[in-house]
Amino acid sequence: MCRKDTERTMRLLTERQLEAFLRSAETDYDVRVPVALRDGTRTLGRLDDGRLALAGGAIPAKMTNVFFPQMDRLLTAGPDGPDIPKPVLRPLLVVGFTAQDAECLEFIDRFYAENYRDDVYFNRRDGAVIVCVSGRCGPQGRFLEIAGGKCDMEFICDGQSYLVLGYSPVGKALTEKLAARQPAGTATLTELQKESDSLAREDSRLLQAASRLLLEEKVPEEFWRSVSDRCIACTSCNLVCPTCTCFDVFDRVVDGKVQRWRTWDSCQLDGFMREASGHNPMGLEHQRTRRRIHHKLAADPKRWGQLTCMLCGRCDDACPTGIGVKAVCREMVSKYGSV
Amino acid sequence: MDNSIDRAADRFAERLGVIDKHTLYRPFNCTLRSVRDLTPSEKMFRLAKLEGGPFGHRPGQFMQVSVLGIGEAPISVSSSPTRGDYLELGVRAAGTLTSALHRLKPGDEIGLRGPFGTHFPTDEMKGRDLLLISGGCGLAPMRALIQYVEDRRGDFRKVTILYGAKSPDDVLYKDELRGWRNSKIFECQVTVDRVPGGTCWDANVGMITKLIPPLQIRPDDTTAVIVGPPIMYKFVIEELCAKGLNAGNIVVSLERHMKCGVGKCGHCTIDHLYCCIDGPVFRLDQVANLKGAI
Repeated sequence: MCRKDTERTMRLLTERQLEAFLRSAETDYDVRVPVALRDGTRTLGRLDDGRLALAGGAIPAKMTNVFFPQMDRLLTAGPDGPDIPKPVLRPLLVVGFTAQDAECLEFIDRFYAENYRDDVYFNRRDGAVIVCVSGRCGPQGRFLEIAGGKCDMEFICDGQSYLVLGYSPVGKALTEKLAARQPAGTATLTELQKESDSLAREDSRLLQAASRLLLEEKVPEEFWRSVSDRCIACTSCNLVCPTCTCFDVFDRVVDGKVQRWRTWDSCQLDGFMREASGHNPMGLEHQRTRRRIHHKLAADPKRWGQLTCMLCGRCDDACPTGIGVKAVCREMVSKYGSV
Repeated sequence: MDNSIDRAADRFAERLGVIDKHTLYRPFNCTLRSVRDLTPSEKMFRLAKLEGGPFGHRPGQFMQVSVLGIGEAPISVSSSPTRGDYLELGVRAAGTLTSALHRLKPGDEIGLRGPFGTHFPTDEMKGRDLLLISGGCGLAPMRALIQYVEDRRGDFRKVTILYGAKSPDDVLYKDELRGWRNSKIFECQVTVDRVPGGTCWDANVGMITKLIPPLQIRPDDTTAVIVGPPIMYKFVIEELCAKGLNAGNIVVSLERHMKCGVGKCGHCTIDHLYCCIDGPVFRLDQVANLKGAI
């Protein structure tokens, strides 16, 4: 990103003005934003689904489900052979990513693009505009890390209003269309950036330490048995994880036509790797518990050169028995290593 | 035989990559040319493309076989590309999809995606002794390699085939095995774990591992290939190591349930490897130290 260029297009808007901007963007985009539903749930939806709720931090559901939904049609049987889904007509504009969510998206973009390009994923992802929300608008007043160039646009809360920054060409073009509430001062951005840079990084160091332990094979089976004893196989960890990409494939008949779908799957389920012969390479619960953590912190670094847990915190929030990634890493490092 | 087949397969694979970019999950239709019984629970299917032409596969690769309305499953190809523009699949009726396949008749259409995965390293195997060991259904993918070697016999030195099944009734490709056993170009031994009373059987009885110690093996000049049920690998590998073979000269084909075949669904991971794109054929030293691989 060219910082000067970004600062030149920067705007300062209230949430109300941002809402007006997002409504105007609906002409060209399928706009999804964080909304507060009547029952108080904060979720990703369309502007008419509820009150715009930019503040509050990460949406509980994973943001990547916009492009990799829980159920997705792969094909429909047609008279001229199987018919595959077409790219979406209006590209998506998705608001509400945190900096960690943007990193997760960056990884799964890479995952779906490399080796074989997953056309079903890119039908939605191509042309989509990613907007992060950061600054002084986290839960319980926490500061949300500034994403910077990891997205197309960013809304950075200064406590009252939002600095709007465009990073990519499309992000800059959209930002330039905005009328400024008042001249946006770069001093405020510098101030907010300093606040972001000063955020504690203990969890990141913890994750790195846990990863080293796994790569050096210093974590014994008995540890995984003790963690798996607390797992109830509810699969929440997988369902909320933005970098979990596993899926199952099944056929069904809709309106007399055969359709093939994929649906999220969970490596925490006994049948995940079971073969028709009965052979099950992950037939024991502790093997599955190990897999969940090992895959993100050891297998993926070997394959992709990066950790694939971005510390979004969703699995720790969702796990009913307290064995999300951070909790397990904390326990692992306290037993077998040091940060 | 035509040595241009390997190059054609490479060109096909390149082309497939381009096609797949837009239709990753769409199968292409094939005609079921013939079906024949191998055992009471296994059948052999011969398929041809509707428009004709080669499938572009190499021995060891697999196809995602699709019956619309039922589902899709990975199945190893059991014929060599050197045999013509058809594809054969040896299929045990074990799951929903394979049971549906068993109900199909010649003339029916089947959807296929692929070929996918790595193949047996036939180029690196040239000029070497080959020890081809398979058990149970493992003979299906091994057959593709055996046919390939048979058609290019001059490229390889001594070729030994070992095959084990549970009982005489479970032996696959009986006619072909008889041919290989009588052939002068192979040394072929077959064994079964047990022979039920009243069954006629003229070969070995006992575990396949018992066939290995008596063999004369030149470990540095031999490539061993193993395909079989998961339990077989550990014990066969131990016997091969006892004969002096190192992990770099042992090739294994690992079975996992690939749901997509293209490295996305996550069902076939072995540590950092995806069995569908990094395998199913691995050199043993690639996977020997990975938890859960063997």
